[in-house]
Amino acid sequence: MNRREFLAAGSAIAAASALPSFALADDKTITVFSSSDNNIIDFWNNTVIPAFTKANPGLKVKLASGGDENGVRAIADRALAALKSKTDPQVDAFENFDARLPAGAAEAGLWVSFSAENIPNYGRINPQAQNLKQELPYRGSQVLLAYDKTKLDPKDAPKTWEQLVAWIKKNPGQFIYNRPDKGGSGGNFVRRAIHEVNGRDPSKFTISNYSADFAEKSLMPAWAALKDLAPFLYEKGAYTSGNTQSIQLLSQGVVTMVPVWSDQVLQAISQGVLPETTGLVQLTDLALCGGFARMTVFSNGANKDAALKLGNFLLTTEMQSAIITQIGGFPGVSWDHISTDLREKYKDVVPNSIPTFPGGDWNSAINDGWYRNVATGLARG
Amino acid sequence: MGRGLKGLLLIAIPVFLVGWLIIYPIFAAILSTLFFDGPEGLRFSTASYQFFISDPYSRANLALTLWTTGMCAVLLLIVGLPIALYLRFSTNRFADLVQSLAIFPMFVPSIILSYALIRTIGPNGTVDILLNAVGLPKIKSPYLTPWGPVIGLVWDHLPLTVLMLTAGLGSISNSAIEAARDVGAGPLRVFWHIILPRMGNSILVTVSFTILGIFSAFTLPYVLGPASPEMMGPFMLRTFNALYDPLNAKTQAVISFAFCLFFGIFYVWSIARNQKGQSR
Repeated sequence: MNRREFLAAGSAIAAASALPSFALADDKTITVFSSSDNNIIDFWNNTVIPAFTKANPGLKVKLASGGDENGVRAIADRALAALKSKTDPQVDAFENFDARLPAGAAEAGLWVSFSAENIPNYGRINPQAQNLKQELPYRGSQVLLAYDKTKLDPKDAPKTWEQLVAWIKKNPGQFIYNRPDKGGSGGNFVRRAIHEVNGRDPSKFTISNYSADFAEKSLMPAWAALKDLAPFLYEKGAYTSGNTQSIQLLSQGVVTMVPVWSDQVLQAISQGVLPETTGLVQLTDLALCGGFARMTVFSNGANKDAALKLGNFLLTTEMQSAIITQIGGFPGVSWDHISTDLREKYKDVVPNSIPTFPGGDWNSAINDGWYRNVATGLARG
Repeated sequence: MGRGLKGLLLIAIPVFLVGWLIIYPIFAAILSTLFFDGPEGLRFSTASYQFFISDPYSRANLALTLWTTGMCAVLLLIVGLPIALYLRFSTNRFADLVQSLAIFPMFVPSIILSYALIRTIGPNGTVDILLNAVGLPKIKSPYLTPWGPVIGLVWDHLPLTVLMLTAGLGSISNSAIEAARDVGAGPLRVFWHIILPRMGNSILVTVSFTILGIFSAFTLPYVLGPASPEMMGPFMLRTFNALYDPLNAKTQAVISFAFCLFFGIFYVWSIARNQKGQSR
């Protein structure tokens, strides 16, 4: 390369980096942030994005991990500020988010309202999963109990909360759940305890009926119930620091039963992290909480239309089948839109209903309350 | 004059960066925990500090952090000093191997170390399997107890400790030791009367350095430690991130900073004393 070529190339590179919007004019890159675990990020990078870019030449997807829910919430805060000042939020969609956040965003029109007009596949969505117009539920998972079949006969596996508590107390040291803020499996186990002491009625809790008084009244009995359980847990009240560590303790044969995410445990079994002798059971009086991952699209994003195309693509039969076979999730669409053999194969794992627990202020009330009331005063070794 | 200006220009960028990214945020954090915008102008309040001091939960977390830091510093000296002495006085090839082994933890990211420790000294881990194979009972696993982070942190900080102690030992001349040996001093006497007094400074530097690193440790206490009490690092992040409470998180940070400042001043003081001693 002679000097003139070098200068030409150098200035071209400088120009390209100085004007990113020009460079992307005919090759759009959709920026998506995810708050999900690594298995979902891998699923997107290895399956969703290659299939989408193949079907839509000229479109690219950049998926970044926002860490956790609070991480992407901070990005949503900034996008809301950008909406008010009419600037580019530099983000087009979230892989999984609650459109009720940040406060006032939905009213201000931060999120695109989905309908059959902008998402042709919208009608396929499972009515049970539908919630807000601004959310596109495309995959689901639920917390259930995983246990070691060599130590616990499947016919003796607990089916109700009462049986579960009785089993934990009869088998001290054989159960552990993770800290509620560090992963949804322990978090939803804690929320199931809150449901239990409040009449097993998930509709009692909504994002808007939070008040300090109501939280105090409804959460204190749950802390008492969980504290009562603590001496019978692993190490008389130890709590792992995440979903993965719970699965690790189950796989090392340290404990007999842990709460797990359905998709994570199915993946762990298929990869051999957990043995074939791992049993799964769901409580039948009221299931442990779960939920759908809901994609949200920014109305002020630079690539809104492309992001809507991506949303539509997630609801195709191809992607929905991949969600079942590759990550062990539930489809976001009704089962009529899934191939018959898959429907037959997975009919046992598919829930009839998925109870949910609202986020928002409840999250901090539950996290703080649990640490202060349940985790303290342990007998330490 | 011209040279002085050039020198100032050379240090301008680091000084600017330190001022912008470290000094300014520190003062901003301290001020924002003490002064609040009220309806009638700025208001001074120490409420968040009073809350921290009166809250047994926060105090327990601070106490655990101090305990872990102190325990790690003591263990690091006990483990690191013999290795450093060996490296200083040994001349054979085997010492090179020991040195590379002692430095090895530096290249292992702490998140990988955490999961590896769960696999080895965790319940039913490798150690248990080996003990079981020879018919011995299982160890009481330190996983999810305060000892878990202590073991991890000692392993993680060993390279730095050994390097600094070896450097300190390097300044002790062979002739002083040989002279002591000639008049009949045993190894213990040599260590106590010749080596130890000469490396007091490097021990102080090592201790304050490791304490600064361990006080704010995050990954190892997060993964290996108990849910409660927790060390200040995970506690601050949880307060900020899971409880949406930046004020109390900042208060915790300022209190942690005050403790670290104490050891930092100690470190600067011993460095300055050392330099003064050398220039004399």
